Amino acid sequence: MNTMSPSISAEADMQSKGAAVPVPEHKRKDTLMEDKPEDTVIEEGKTVGKPFTDNPKFKLRNVDVSYGADRAIKNISLDIGRNEVIAFIGPSGCGKSTFLRCLNRMNDSIEICRVKGSFELDGQNIYESKRDVVELRARVGMVFQKPNPFPKSIYDNVAYGPRIHGLANRKSELDDIVENSLRKAGLWNEAKDRLDAMATGMSGGQQQRLCIARAIAVSPEVILMDEPCSALDPIATARVEELIAEMSESYTIVIVTHSMQQAARVSNRTAYFHMGHLVEVNKTDTVFTSPQHPLTESYITGRFG
Amino acid sequence: MPNNKDQMYGDHISERFNNELLELKTRFLEMGGLVEAQLGNAVQALTANDSVLAEQVRTGDRGVDQMEIDIDEEAILIIARRQPAARDLRLVIAVIKMVVDLERVGDEAKKIAKLALKQEEEGQTSRGSVEVRHIGSHVHAMLHNSLDAFARLDAEQALRVMKEDKRVDEEYQAAARTLLTHMMEDTRNISRCMSIMWVLRALERVGDHACNLAENVIFMVKGEDVRHTPMEETERVVGR
Amino acid sequence: MTDQRSQAEIVRKSLKRRYRTERRFRLYGILAIFIALASLFILFADIISKGHTGFVKTTITLEVTLDSGMMYLDDPTDKDQWSSADFKAPIIAALQAQVPEAASAAEKRELGRFLGTFADSEIRDLLTKNPELLNTTQTIEFPAHDRVSVYVKHADNPRYSIKLSEQQQRWVDELLQKGIIDTSFNDVLFSRGDSREPANAGVLGAIVGSLLTMLVTLAISFPVGISAAVYLEEFAPQNKLTDFIEVNINNLAAVPSIIFGLLGLAVFINLFGMPRSVPVVGGLVLALMTLPTIIISSRAAIKSVPPSIREAAEGVGASKMQVVLHHVVPLAMPGMLTGSIIGMAQALGETAPLLLIGMVAFIVDVPDGLFSSATVLPVQIYLWASSSEQGFVELASAAIMVLLTFMIIMNALAIWLRKRLERRW
Repeated sequence: MNTMSPSISAEADMQSKGAAVPVPEHKRKDTLMEDKPEDTVIEEGKTVGKPFTDNPKFKLRNVDVSYGADRAIKNISLDIGRNEVIAFIGPSGCGKSTFLRCLNRMNDSIEICRVKGSFELDGQNIYESKRDVVELRARVGMVFQKPNPFPKSIYDNVAYGPRIHGLANRKSELDDIVENSLRKAGLWNEAKDRLDAMATGMSGGQQQRLCIARAIAVSPEVILMDEPCSALDPIATARVEELIAEMSESYTIVIVTHSMQQAARVSNRTAYFHMGHLVEVNKTDTVFTSPQHPLTESYITGRFG
Repeated sequence: MPNNKDQMYGDHISERFNNELLELKTRFLEMGGLVEAQLGNAVQALTANDSVLAEQVRTGDRGVDQMEIDIDEEAILIIARRQPAARDLRLVIAVIKMVVDLERVGDEAKKIAKLALKQEEEGQTSRGSVEVRHIGSHVHAMLHNSLDAFARLDAEQALRVMKEDKRVDEEYQAAARTLLTHMMEDTRNISRCMSIMWVLRALERVGDHACNLAENVIFMVKGEDVRHTPMEETERVVGR
Repeated sequence: MTDQRSQAEIVRKSLKRRYRTERRFRLYGILAIFIALASLFILFADIISKGHTGFVKTTITLEVTLDSGMMYLDDPTDKDQWSSADFKAPIIAALQAQVPEAASAAEKRELGRFLGTFADSEIRDLLTKNPELLNTTQTIEFPAHDRVSVYVKHADNPRYSIKLSEQQQRWVDELLQKGIIDTSFNDVLFSRGDSREPANAGVLGAIVGSLLTMLVTLAISFPVGISAAVYLEEFAPQNKLTDFIEVNINNLAAVPSIIFGLLGLAVFINLFGMPRSVPVVGGLVLALMTLPTIIISSRAAIKSVPPSIREAAEGVGASKMQVVLHHVVPLAMPGMLTGSIIGMAQALGETAPLLLIGMVAFIVDVPDGLFSSATVLPVQIYLWASSSEQGFVELASAAIMVLLTFMIIMNALAIWLRKRLERRW
């Protein structure tokens, strides 16, 4: 490393010529580490930024999730606004996926998982015992990390949700739903001539868009996406991101992603999770140019994660 | 230091990213040092009627230009390769913008050196050099302090530089008035006084550039753009 | 540089050793496969060489004059006359006409021994059905006696001719030349039940018995096994009780099959008073035996359904039941079917538990229902193989081939089903 600061040599130059410049004694702080971000103490339940919004779609308060003795989510409160795209980012194991799956009770089937706190979707508690989880999942759809089409035809994949919920009375209605969903997912032109073909024969990107079409076929209000592009190539990823941008007009979208660039591109708001804490929630533009919390800063600049 | 946490550019997962950012900073400070020396030498050449030094400044400007190109290229490569975010992004963007200001300062120094050469040819005595020397050392200090603020990520020092600019402007006005009086006293002085006016004008511009550098340092450190904002607002940002 | 080169040298040296080890390892593998194939080949060669003669029958075709005087019979429909009638006399007469050398009474008796034990009852049956044939001449085919049959089939092997005297051998050769004694495909094997006489014994009864038993086994073990697997895998809560059940199912798969026979004897026959040696009881016992196999393989098949499919279905709001019925079971079906068919094949080859529930009885008739006495292929093989007569040993080998054919068909079916259904995935 170059220990000789060039500005110091310039000062010496000036001094020799009698310039009356005070010479501050400075050191380079580049490599000096006063505080490691890992050492930063996070106060439980304290979130930097603006976690709350007016008239939210989801109102989540004091959420606590534990797997047996492990607390995966530690007292998180967050609002998710209507028709907004909110991105959950954070290092692996920070609880972002767990939190996402709480939103349509996908954690129900895990026996050791215990969920506490209040979850309100349009003012109704979704964890109320009399509330049917099937109805909730019709309202809150989900797209998964790995494209997981059913091993059936493209048509049957999209039609499955409407069929089991009885959304269509006639074949023609079902056809319309399938066509609309595929159109919205930007897959109609590629798929219209082979609706009877096996969905598993499509490319990864097409499969993921099919999964999105399948999710929107039951006309949900919220779509949860758990790292939807992690198994896709850049072009397929770009297509899905484009789709998310289009869909944000009519749906509330919650997306968990490991790609910070993706979060920066597609979301309106970004929430940063760290070891079960919700550290910072802010407008995405703010988070990616000047985050408020040092942990967020360290994460998005690639200092740990 | 009010906020030491903001002062790290190291400690990335990628050691090469660390080195690239460090390299960018070092190169920028090298260029800053060179420009500072150019400015000091130009003023010295003018006030001491030193044509050799003036010639040296004139040719030295090519080095400054080359450094500007190099630093820009490096910054572009970092953006392309690393997609920097937050503080890293602000550093790279600030450097790209500040390099332009530094290059302009270099140009002003060259301009002064040219005037010094012309003055020397015409064999004029160096009247008005008191004002030149005074404002010269003042803007030199500003330039130095803003570079220092950059090196230390010291927003408060940057703020002080911004405040200095007003005083430089006042000094420039005062000096301009004095020169005007000289010209009115004796019309033969006009030509010489006009060159001094040019020099003072160049030095005043250097002050403005130093002020721009300081603004960029505040953006870099605090993450907020303080250009075209009232001083009170800027103070609030820095004090935060 | 030199350092790198020496390192490459070391690697090269160790490489040789590594390749040698690999080659040796590969050789062991090839050797093991060779041994397995060789023993399989020997087994098949032995069975086929012993059994192929089981598919051949030896017949004596004669023009018999059904003379009423010779038989001491006036009216074939009168059963009272049967006991005093001599149905064999015209056959021996016809045979003696072909072998004029045998003139004495003792030699005629010898000739009569060429015929199968039931030759006279064949004449009787023919006359009872068609009384008008009395006093006419008919061409009739009789099964040859076992010892003639063995001699004819193994003419080149002196070991098999010891049961015939020199004179008799000469007579047989003479009859063979005249075409009176002849060999043809043994259609009796596939059209009759068991018999005391090898020439009249067939595996049809055992095949039908096996099929009926398998039908019962399949009808019980497949739905029960799959339901149990689906419940255990998808719905059962994780607690001590289900753990206990799991362990016991796994243990049941390892229980010797004869224990299931004891269980069947105690429960189905003694407790529920079901008849012995019927396909229903055999099927029930074998169903109990195959259940663990089907449950274990079905659970494995269900487990191998990717969780992402479950999540996908849950994600669009399918209920637990819909997830299982629409997605998990269809996807696991190939595995379940394969497991079941292999379980069935196992049951098809099972003998021990059936011995205990009485399916080892000597049954001549082809079973005509689930509740009529029956035997199954492996038991039939066991019975024949333990019999002393040379003809039965041949038949046992032939029956083994029939059984193996069934096994191969079932296994091929399993593979075909899996391939066909898996194409969906």
